[in-house]
Amino acid sequence: MLGLEAISANNGWAMAITGAIIVMCGLSVLAFIISQLHKIIGLFEKRKEAVPHFVRPAADFDTLNDLEAAARIYKPLTVNLGDSFHLTELYRIFEKEKLPHPHLTIRALRAAEYLQPLGEGVFRWKNEDQQ
Amino acid sequence: MELFVEFLKNTGYFLADIRYILMICVGILFCFLATAKKYEPLLLLPIGFGIIIGNIPFFKGFGLGIYENNSVLHYLYFGVTSGLYPSIVFLGLGAMTDFSSMLARPKLMLLGAAAQMGIYFTLLSAMALGFAPKEAASVAIIGGADGPTSIFLTAKLAPHLIGPIAIAAYSYMALIPIIQPPIMRLLTSRKERLIRMPDTDRPISRTELLCFPIIGVILCCFLAPASIPLLGPFFFGNFMKESRVVDRLAKTASTSIIDTATIFLGFTVGASTQADVFLTVKSIGIFLLGSVAFSIATASGVIFAKIMNIFLKEKINPLLGAAGVSAVPGSAREVHLVGLKEDPGNYLLMHAMACNASGVIGSAICAGVLWSFMMR
Repeated sequence: MLGLEAISANNGWAMAITGAIIVMCGLSVLAFIISQLHKIIGLFEKRKEAVPHFVRPAADFDTLNDLEAAARIYKPLTVNLGDSFHLTELYRIFEKEKLPHPHLTIRALRAAEYLQPLGEGVFRWKNEDQQ
Repeated sequence: MELFVEFLKNTGYFLADIRYILMICVGILFCFLATAKKYEPLLLLPIGFGIIIGNIPFFKGFGLGIYENNSVLHYLYFGVTSGLYPSIVFLGLGAMTDFSSMLARPKLMLLGAAAQMGIYFTLLSAMALGFAPKEAASVAIIGGADGPTSIFLTAKLAPHLIGPIAIAAYSYMALIPIIQPPIMRLLTSRKERLIRMPDTDRPISRTELLCFPIIGVILCCFLAPASIPLLGPFFFGNFMKESRVVDRLAKTASTSIIDTATIFLGFTVGASTQADVFLTVKSIGIFLLGSVAFSIATASGVIFAKIMNIFLKEKINPLLGAAGVSAVPGSAREVHLVGLKEDPGNYLLMHAMACNASGVIGSAICAGVLWSFMMR
């Protein structure tokens, strides 16, 4: 069998048209996704930038004598805990980060009201405009 | 004396006929083109030498030939018939490919899809000429201008045609500078060839480069699961490269591994062209259809670019459509050179590479689609 008859008998028209549509659609969808990819990544990166980073204080930084600076430095540590947190959680992070005098520092921050009680052992950081 | 005569009867000189001599001449021609003219030497040299080796006549039954069980060549050829070498080549290709030009210009990906139309046109032509559907699909994939993809699909659908199809695919890839420019010039006006493309659209972040192989493999392989053996290693190789944490592996994949696979692939494909199985009327048909497939692929890319220009505010140079075939980087280089000939300040290479990269993905998807159609 030859010619158009052979194409029809072997389902050639359907195969050619479907195949062409599949590859065209596949690459079009891929092209669309990659054209939007940088926007999606941009959104995530902006969010990441908005989150304050914890910067480890210098080795000679005296936490207890400059509580205002200490509060500013340590505040990013609790970003993942939300606006309010238990002091035990803050203490655990201090230990994990191997920061000096965790117990004394938290007590001093609390006494100077940089950590404000919300009741039932829950605290929050003093607002920056209050500081 | 009798022993000496018997020995002489078993030598290649005695067993040779005109067909073997002809094929050995073809092998020598390939070696000449590779060494003297530097036409795709990485492919033509192993294939050419393989053709010479494969066409040395021998006494059948000694376990020497590529089609004889337990011969060394037969074991090496297993990598071709099983589709192993093409997968390994794709791994290395992925580790070598930089997708940043494509990610910066996603609309050019459509040209990579359009250039695959040559495959489907040839599928119909081959069926019309009396090829069985599986053979027609294997012939058609030559239009993808991708040697490993052609070999892979043929190994799965029509293993008896691997020799002529592989030789046709690689020959046309080597003949890009002769086949493509006349078609490009015929289908475009000088004004169109002078269209300048903007230098860069935007910088590509590392995160984008990292995300692309994952998105690509999921999207393409979900669409055409039969393309997993090609696109899986391809995107994996690219992910290794872009991750920058396994530089040693990426480097090995893009150097030693792909080189080893290319050597054995080329050599055994060449050796599979034994005159008695290669020189048939079907082989001539395959060569003719291969050139049609390749020409239609080039033309459909260029024509699609012209159609896109009807709708686009910022016109694209239609020459880029010719780079939609997946002959990397030969067709991109040719587009660049044709563009430069018209306007020495028009640099199209990076744009053409974007089309070329999408052409690789497109032809592998086509192979997967055709394979799944034929398995029904």
